[in-house]
Amino acid sequence: MQQHERRIVRIENIVKDFRPGFGLRVKRVLHGISLDVNDGEIFGFVGPNGSGKTTTLKVLMGLIRATSGEATILGHSVTETAFRREIGFLPENPYFYSHLTGREILGFFAKLSGVTRGRRKARISELLEWVGLDHAADSRLETYSKGMLQRLGIAQALVHDPRVVFLDEPMSGLDPIGRVEIRDLVLRLRSEGKTVFMNTHILHDVEMLCDRVAIIVEGRIRYQGVIEDLVGSGLHEVDIVAANLSPETVLELEDRLAAKLRGVGERVEIRVAEKEVNDTLRCVLAAGGEVVSVTRHRVSLESFFLSTVEGGSEIGE
Amino acid sequence: MKSLARIWTIAMNTLREAVRNKLLYALLFFGVAVILAGVVLSALSYVESERILQDFGFAAIRLFSVAIAIFVGVTLIHREVERRTVYAILSKPLSRAEFLLGKYVGLLVTIWLQMAIMVVFFVAVSLVTGAPLDAGHAAAFALIAAELAVIVAVATFFSAFTTPMLASFFSIGIWALGHMTRDLRDIGASSISESVQSTTALIHRVMPDLESFNFATEAAHGLAFAASDVWLPLLYGVGYVSVLLVAAIGIFERRDLR
Amino acid sequence: MRDWIHSWHRYIVAVIAISLTAFAHSAMDTSAEDDLSRIFLPEAAHAQLWSLGFDTVLADYYWLQALQLVGGERGDTAQHIAMIGEMVELITTLDPWGGGPYRFAAIWMTDSKQSVRTANRLLERSIAHIPTDWRSRYYLGFNYFFYLEENGKAADAFEAALGLEGVPRYLGALAARLRMNEGGLEMAADFLAEFARTTSDDFTRVEYLKALDEVETERGARKLDAAREEYWRRHGEDIRDVHDLLRGPAPILTQLPPAHPHFDFPVWRIDEQSGQIVSSFYRSRYHLHRADHDEERRERWRSMQEPDARAS
Ligand SMILES: Nc1ncnc2c1ncn2[C@@H]1O[C@H](COP(=O)(O)OP(=O)(O)O)[C@@H](O)[C@H]1O
Ligand SMILES: [Mg+2]
Repeated sequence: MQQHERRIVRIENIVKDFRPGFGLRVKRVLHGISLDVNDGEIFGFVGPNGSGKTTTLKVLMGLIRATSGEATILGHSVTETAFRREIGFLPENPYFYSHLTGREILGFFAKLSGVTRGRRKARISELLEWVGLDHAADSRLETYSKGMLQRLGIAQALVHDPRVVFLDEPMSGLDPIGRVEIRDLVLRLRSEGKTVFMNTHILHDVEMLCDRVAIIVEGRIRYQGVIEDLVGSGLHEVDIVAANLSPETVLELEDRLAAKLRGVGERVEIRVAEKEVNDTLRCVLAAGGEVVSVTRHRVSLESFFLSTVEGGSEIGE
Repeated sequence: MKSLARIWTIAMNTLREAVRNKLLYALLFFGVAVILAGVVLSALSYVESERILQDFGFAAIRLFSVAIAIFVGVTLIHREVERRTVYAILSKPLSRAEFLLGKYVGLLVTIWLQMAIMVVFFVAVSLVTGAPLDAGHAAAFALIAAELAVIVAVATFFSAFTTPMLASFFSIGIWALGHMTRDLRDIGASSISESVQSTTALIHRVMPDLESFNFATEAAHGLAFAASDVWLPLLYGVGYVSVLLVAAIGIFERRDLR
Repeated sequence: MRDWIHSWHRYIVAVIAISLTAFAHSAMDTSAEDDLSRIFLPEAAHAQLWSLGFDTVLADYYWLQALQLVGGERGDTAQHIAMIGEMVELITTLDPWGGGPYRFAAIWMTDSKQSVRTANRLLERSIAHIPTDWRSRYYLGFNYFFYLEENGKAADAFEAALGLEGVPRYLGALAARLRMNEGGLEMAADFLAEFARTTSDDFTRVEYLKALDEVETERGARKLDAAREEYWRRHGEDIRDVHDLLRGPAPILTQLPPAHPHFDFPVWRIDEQSGQIVSSFYRSRYHLHRADHDEERRERWRSMQEPDARAS
């Protein structure tokens, strides 16, 4: 495989301005984001609601045009169409022609993707089974629930056996069993050598699935890297449980040490970075508080994420 | 070839969706009802009652086909974007041009089919009442079909970038104006102001000259006609549709589908 | 109380509602509008602009309205007839290829010379659009001849109809008689000779040739008339017999013209009723024939026009 082909998706300095309404007022949604997705990995694109994940994916799918910057998939500019035979896309909250049945809509997408007549039927049945829709395959989509549409959306994205799959919030609308099933499906895609680009705001899924992540906050990439790097990076946190704290002390702790506090009955749980432990303990004791327990543990993606979102400082890269 | 196959796939799906549209059946029902009512009305006249019967038939076919063309056409593209069905479709190896052409062809086939149903009733009523049917009638139907192709293209054009509400206004307006431009040009030509003359002449040139597709009067009267009375308007229609579709594609390709 | 609409009360409401509707509707005057001003009659040019390609059905609509206008008990008052004129004007602007409305106007618009002239204008439009229909030309000629008494124009119209499909055979001869009234016998003869030369129908040609014979005979009769005049001048008395013209020391004529161009047996005689010299073959002179009842009708029409004429 050639060197440049290892990077399946390449986004360079994409800026996207929206012009809501008719005025000249522009709203910048993407502030020059850059990221790469490598061959065969599950890439998690993570960020809070409204941070620009869907917008980025729409640029990649050629649905909207970037104001500036460049994006390529498999070496093709995203404005081309022929290479899309190689990619699959699950839109956010997908919606399809409700007058068709599940089987018909998959047939329609298979034809559009150029799946040959001979392979179409078998492929559709196989997919319907994969996503667990075989029982509803011949019902019209108007009878489908949100979760069923989501499953159908995934089937539709895979109908032509693409090399790269883009999923926008694939777990939304699914029940816990559905989530597990889709998770397995994504892992199976990786095992088949496919590349998966996944938008999500559910960190648990990211931790479970993704090889690499990019964190986007307010249209800017805040972190991009391997999860192991991030989670196993030596960053540790310490939870201190204390009792008998006055409100003034709590405020001081929050202000001075950027600690996260949580009331647990009479007690207070204080989460701080490792290097702040001594200062925190000193502060608690000085205020006449009582230390109940001190626990050290590896930082979770969630808290990393939260600190990234709230802290505003750029980490990684 | 692949491209045609994709256009056809979109077209057939559009047809399938349209034939499940209840509005279509309502309008088709009224169209057929008016054709049948022509039998009663024409009996009121002691002369040329077969002609009056056919006048009503032609008018019904035209009115109800145009109504379907506009009211289905204006939602054609807009609804796909609004309902976000377009996202998954355009992520497939399909250009926006192919998508739009497929939608256009699909709706046109739908409207031609429902027109064919009305034509069947027209022919049946004519046969039963002994009204004449000849090459002029065939020409008139061909030209109505051409007018419908233009109207669907107008509706598709507006649907590619504006809401169904506005698109209906514009499409109905253009349809009406398209039937007036000849008279307007003639009225303008008799004006003393040269700017009025040239403006009305320009409108006649630029707007679709839909009266050129109106051959029903000639057909119902059984007047003699030349082949060019038919093929020139057909050529004009093909040209006009192409221009509209190229413009629609140009606009649709530049749009952000958000 | 909250539930009243779900109880038996609603049947009462329904009954009351139906009764009210029925009462109001039956109390309304729903008889057809007789008031002519109620018929919306747009100007022809406007209707053409706004008809949006539905010109023909709009024309049909007004055609059916026009038929209502003369049907039944409504008399053909001047107002009705003016209305018919406007309607046919509108109808034939929207659809100039329907022959019926033009003839309808010609039949009904006979209350005044003005109406007839309007009808004739419409007939001219008909001729422009349906040049192959002899009937519009026939009606036009008739209007000129009967109501307007413009024989030349009548003859023009009839002549233009000759040779069209379905035209009655006598029309050429009638045109020739009209010509004679207008421009004399020679003109009539010229026209007949021309018709006979140009017609493609042998039966029609025979009609023309027969008419030419009659004109030839008339020429002889007119010669005899002149001789009779001379006889009166010389002798102070009328002839008793055409042969008187050959008698005496200085006969006015040396020979009688033939009483028919081709046959020998007809003779000239003086008609007892009219006192005119006629050929025994024809028994009357060549002129515009008018049936008595036609003549009566025309007299009535003339007397009707008099106040009209004085007014203008
Ligand atoms: N069509 C649009 N017009 C204006 N602003 C938009 C439009 N679509 C999205 N946005 C804005 O862009 C930002 C990013 O949206 P989106 O990409 O959907 O976020 P995410 O998918 O990460 O939740 C949001 O602030 C949203 O309000
Ligand atoms: Mg989103």
